[in-house]
Amino acid sequence: MFNYLIRRLLYAIPILLGVMLISFVLSFVVQSPESRARMQLGQRATPKSVEAWLHQRGLDKPRFLNTAKDAPLLDSQFFNHLGKLVTFELGVSDVSGRDLKEVFREGALPSLLITLPAFFVGLALAVSLALYQVFVRHSLADSLGSILAVALMSVPAMVYIIFGQAVIALAFNYFPAFGFDLSGWGTAKFILLPVALMAVMGLGGDVRLFRAIFLEEIAQDYVRTAQAKGVSNARLLFVHVLKNGMIALITLIVAQLPLLVMGSLLVENFFGIPGLGNTLVLAIRQGDHATVFASVYLGAILYLAGLILTDICYALVDPRIRLS
Amino acid sequence: MDLIASFQRVLGLSLGLVFLAGCGNDPNPRPLRQTRPDGSPWLVRYSGMPDEPRSLDPQVAYDQMSRRILEPVVETLLEYHPFKTDPYEVVPVLLSEMPRRELQADGSVSYLCKLKPGIFFVDDPCFPGGKGRELVAADVYYAFQRICDPKVGCPVFGNLAEYIKGMSQLYEGAKKNGDQLDYSQKLSGLEVIDSHTFKLHLLKPYPQIIYWLAMHFTAPVAREAVDYYDGQPHPDGPGGRERVRPKFAWHPVATGPFVLHEYRPGHLIRLARNERYQTTVFPEGGWTPDREPLLRPFAGKNLPLVDEVLFTVFREELPIVLLSRQGYLDGMGVGKDAFNSFVTPSLKLDQKYASRGMSLEKDVDLGTFYMSLNMQDPVLGPNPKLRQALSCAHDTQAGIDIFRNGVPPVAQQLIAPGIFGFQPGFRNPYGFNLEKARQLMVEAGYPGGRDPKTGRPLELTMDVTATGAQERQVAEFNQRQFQQLGIQVKIVENTFARMLEKEDQGNFQIASGTGWGADYPDPENFFFLFYGKNFPPEGKNISRYRNAEFDRLFEQMATMENSPERLEIVRRMNAILAEDCPVILEMNKAFYVVVQPFAPRTQNNTLLEGGLKYAWIDHPLREQKRRDWNPVPLWPLGAGAVLMIGAVFYSVRWNRRLDV
Amino acid sequence: MNALFDNLWVQNALVLAGVAVWVALLIHGSRSERWRRAWLRLRKDRVGMISGGVIALYLGVGALESFQIPQPTGPSLSVLGWMTRGVPREKSYSAPLARTSLSVVKPEPLKGRHLLGTDALGNDTLVQTLRACRTALAIGGITSLIYIPLGTLLGILAGYYRRWVDDVIQYVYSTLASIPSILLLVSILMALGKGLGTMSIALGVTSWVGLCRLIRGETMRQSERPYVAAARALGQSHWKIVLHHLLPNVLHLVVINFVLGFSGLVLTEAILSYLGVGTPVGTPSWGSMIDGARSEFSREPLVWWNLTAATGALFGLVLSLNLFGDALRRAFDPKKA
Repeated sequence: MFNYLIRRLLYAIPILLGVMLISFVLSFVVQSPESRARMQLGQRATPKSVEAWLHQRGLDKPRFLNTAKDAPLLDSQFFNHLGKLVTFELGVSDVSGRDLKEVFREGALPSLLITLPAFFVGLALAVSLALYQVFVRHSLADSLGSILAVALMSVPAMVYIIFGQAVIALAFNYFPAFGFDLSGWGTAKFILLPVALMAVMGLGGDVRLFRAIFLEEIAQDYVRTAQAKGVSNARLLFVHVLKNGMIALITLIVAQLPLLVMGSLLVENFFGIPGLGNTLVLAIRQGDHATVFASVYLGAILYLAGLILTDICYALVDPRIRLS
Repeated sequence: MDLIASFQRVLGLSLGLVFLAGCGNDPNPRPLRQTRPDGSPWLVRYSGMPDEPRSLDPQVAYDQMSRRILEPVVETLLEYHPFKTDPYEVVPVLLSEMPRRELQADGSVSYLCKLKPGIFFVDDPCFPGGKGRELVAADVYYAFQRICDPKVGCPVFGNLAEYIKGMSQLYEGAKKNGDQLDYSQKLSGLEVIDSHTFKLHLLKPYPQIIYWLAMHFTAPVAREAVDYYDGQPHPDGPGGRERVRPKFAWHPVATGPFVLHEYRPGHLIRLARNERYQTTVFPEGGWTPDREPLLRPFAGKNLPLVDEVLFTVFREELPIVLLSRQGYLDGMGVGKDAFNSFVTPSLKLDQKYASRGMSLEKDVDLGTFYMSLNMQDPVLGPNPKLRQALSCAHDTQAGIDIFRNGVPPVAQQLIAPGIFGFQPGFRNPYGFNLEKARQLMVEAGYPGGRDPKTGRPLELTMDVTATGAQERQVAEFNQRQFQQLGIQVKIVENTFARMLEKEDQGNFQIASGTGWGADYPDPENFFFLFYGKNFPPEGKNISRYRNAEFDRLFEQMATMENSPERLEIVRRMNAILAEDCPVILEMNKAFYVVVQPFAPRTQNNTLLEGGLKYAWIDHPLREQKRRDWNPVPLWPLGAGAVLMIGAVFYSVRWNRRLDV
Repeated sequence: MNALFDNLWVQNALVLAGVAVWVALLIHGSRSERWRRAWLRLRKDRVGMISGGVIALYLGVGALESFQIPQPTGPSLSVLGWMTRGVPREKSYSAPLARTSLSVVKPEPLKGRHLLGTDALGNDTLVQTLRACRTALAIGGITSLIYIPLGTLLGILAGYYRRWVDDVIQYVYSTLASIPSILLLVSILMALGKGLGTMSIALGVTSWVGLCRLIRGETMRQSERPYVAAARALGQSHWKIVLHHLLPNVLHLVVINFVLGFSGLVLTEAILSYLGVGTPVGTPSWGSMIDGARSEFSREPLVWWNLTAATGALFGLVLSLNLFGDALRRAFDPKKA
């Protein structure tokens, strides 16, 4: 199993290299280093100061390969950029000039406070509803539930949020309509509504998926055997089917866990939660390329981490991999 | 079945938790304290801003958001009187009296300034022993040196260097030395006489220098703070651990009434009272008689009146309106979209809000918005008739009606109302008039908007920064205005940074969304926008307008004291600009402000961003109103519970049928 | 590049090309027994037929907006614009069926009645909503023109040739898939600039991965089947096997994936508009109409009709696409459903 994991880890390296190449190429198409310099130096930039800025950051070097005499071949923008990314030197924001490492570190906690509970609440709700549908399968409630799930999927995310903010927060005064404060348990009142909305947003798709998984499980032979032995419908469903279905589920959801750090673009922006999602929306609107491309890199790493976690889960479940 | 039961238990528990934590919808973070040392309530003012500051370095900050935070923290040598706005009056703050104008033997002008004794910087680790030291003239000298430092990048260096001795030399010297300014070099324009006295030597007469001393660019800076807050790791942490100090730009150390207590980028800014502040007190008079009952009780009181100010960054309009209605925000302008809900046809506050004790005030900002036309463009530049036609085709009033509820006035001239040289009766000769616009198109050589050479419609591009929904609508509106002439207008959307770059390079035809807010109440501060030596990137002449007569008059009026002759020159310059149409004038900024009953406005001088020290809050009234305005209905919860019970019931019944 | 794609006729040509490809595919597919059986099953599926009809309706409205009628004076009009030329333009907002404009201070009598009110610039909301159909369909159409051939072809190649071809293709799509799709979309759009064409390209780049994975797996399964071995034994060329044996057998998956993917594209457009990298100024789209609600909801009286109309139209299309996709899946694979 150890060898297997090492292999999977090694496989992630070329992919990460590819991501760096894509983001590097895109970031140069987007904006030449000269215009980035002008943006940072502000309205007082002179050709001299732009030059100095570029030199300071090594952006006056060749793009990919340094073919100049007595210069190291790899002393180029791309490879230096690569080296910095490997050591997590993400650079500074184009707009605020703040260190991006710090920006991401600060934003991670508020983001996780929203996405993590939303993820688990959404999961619990979706599993319960899917089980419920399987429980009452082929009844009116089941078909209504299926249509409702598709309907939930077809509503744009913004509409959920606008509704939640305008009605639940404003008309009923249950929750703050906006804002965030990290103050122990006091934070709860800020995250409850966003968490609830986020959980509902993903519900439709999840219920559909989980229902399909459970239905597949219920068609298996062991279920029929158990039924024949007189196991009650409820016990069959909640013990046997749930247990076996969960194995399929866990491998499916583990991959998403690391990405939760990135937060939620829309929810954080609407509710003024200072997480990474909010930072990113702002960066996109302001054209802050440094932040956007650092997020691309970060997102890719988190995604790959998710894949490796999934592999570990598979390995734990499947003895063939564990023993190899 | 016990699984279902435990599921229900979990559900019940989580619902209970929701109610426990959900008590109260107050979105504001907890204040630093509940009571003052003497037992009276700790007063907090909750405020908002639409964007975050770009820099809190007094020599660098130039945008309104930065000023809003910086000016309460960094006190200036002089300051606008909070109540006297017609005409504006400048009063001493850090100085003990107004600067004394002296005529030197060689005919040049100097100003003698004396600092008040006994003003201390806030306590900060950058000072020995952490105790703030006394403010001295050397701090002013250091601030002026920083203005000349190319590395600092002061945006108004050019304006000041033109009038103050020795600044250009210092700057040029540093430029030659690889942008390194040698701080031991002397700045001849600022002479330190003793610890509290200094003299400012000018190259030529410049009465407006008084206004510059009321801006934060000339605010004194402690060299210790700049050296200490370098953004590098130092062994300051507990046990000598390495810790990164913030940069000076994000950690101002000054003498103002407030201290920057907390800054969470993109989210909130917390200012707290400077416990050592004694520099100013609430003025004893100067207000209009109708404000007497409100302001008299404060006369002579120590400042600031509140202990803490909390700025939340709101990037959307919706939460501002929501929180104001709930009483969680103490002051706000009426946004375009919320306008109708607050205002009745007679422009009075709607009864619904008036009965809550709110009131409505109109604010007029010293600013003018316009669309810039590129004078170096081969199509627009040499064709004044075409520019005039475009100006005539733009129905500015309609735009104001749609997007600003008809509140701001259409700008008839560049200079904003309330500033010397503003001519109340003046009408823009190329204001909206579609017939005239079509006629002008014929004279411009494009009858019906068509280029006779090609027979096809004239094509122009308009550069906009369109990120929000409203900006997109404005762009589409402007496009339609010009297309009434039969020409084609292509919209190019830019990011804010890209737009600035295009303005700097002159790489545009029509740039929408440009304008100017006054730095100080003088026509020179508007006309320099069209001075021929003020081209970007150094200057602000985005249109790249050059007119020999205009430049000559500008140089003449810039250094004059206000007088009938100066007024006459301003009038002539105004006429030249109006005829040449380097811009399409849109409007002067004006808006309504809804005033909460518990947060009466103690001052509304638009030039005074640092007026926060005069702000006040009626704490008990606010507590009461918040309770009244936030009732919590319970029926939706009941309805939800009924639905859930129904679902459980249904499923149990269905299960029984299956089992049978 | 943007200028090229923003030309209405280029867009139309691309969409027509897309339609032609689909028609060709359907004709090609309908020859097979499997498709005929699926069609018979689909015809009995009430939900599927109704949702299919609704989709056809949207397509029709989109087509009306796509074709231009040259006018003797002024710019040309779309067929839809010509049909609704009687609808007057107001100055600004007005509520559904109101008689005066929505302004407390200066309410002005309207030139006509508007079933769904008018937007900030006085355009009839209903007309704008219908016009936005074309934007949604154009984005979906051009995107599918890019990603369907790419995903199908690469998927089949990877599944059929395996070894290094598979490795390379897998590497490329794993790399793309490892960037969160919204981030990839935004960065491509930032690089290429805003516009319908660039948005379609960006969506194409992010969408083909899923399809490619699906097709690759199915091709691998099909390659094990005896008919492929038989074809190979008969000495048929690789090309022929791919085109005549494998492609027809995975085509139904492509169709299902397309229908379901379309709904995702429409929803993504809404999010991109919210992020400020959506459709350019002047192009009506549901996304930008929903985006407008951010400020319209702070008005009072509330401007709810733009949000409602756009959400309703979007919901109708996405729901129909989802239901129709499900129906197709049921029709092609009745055992699983």
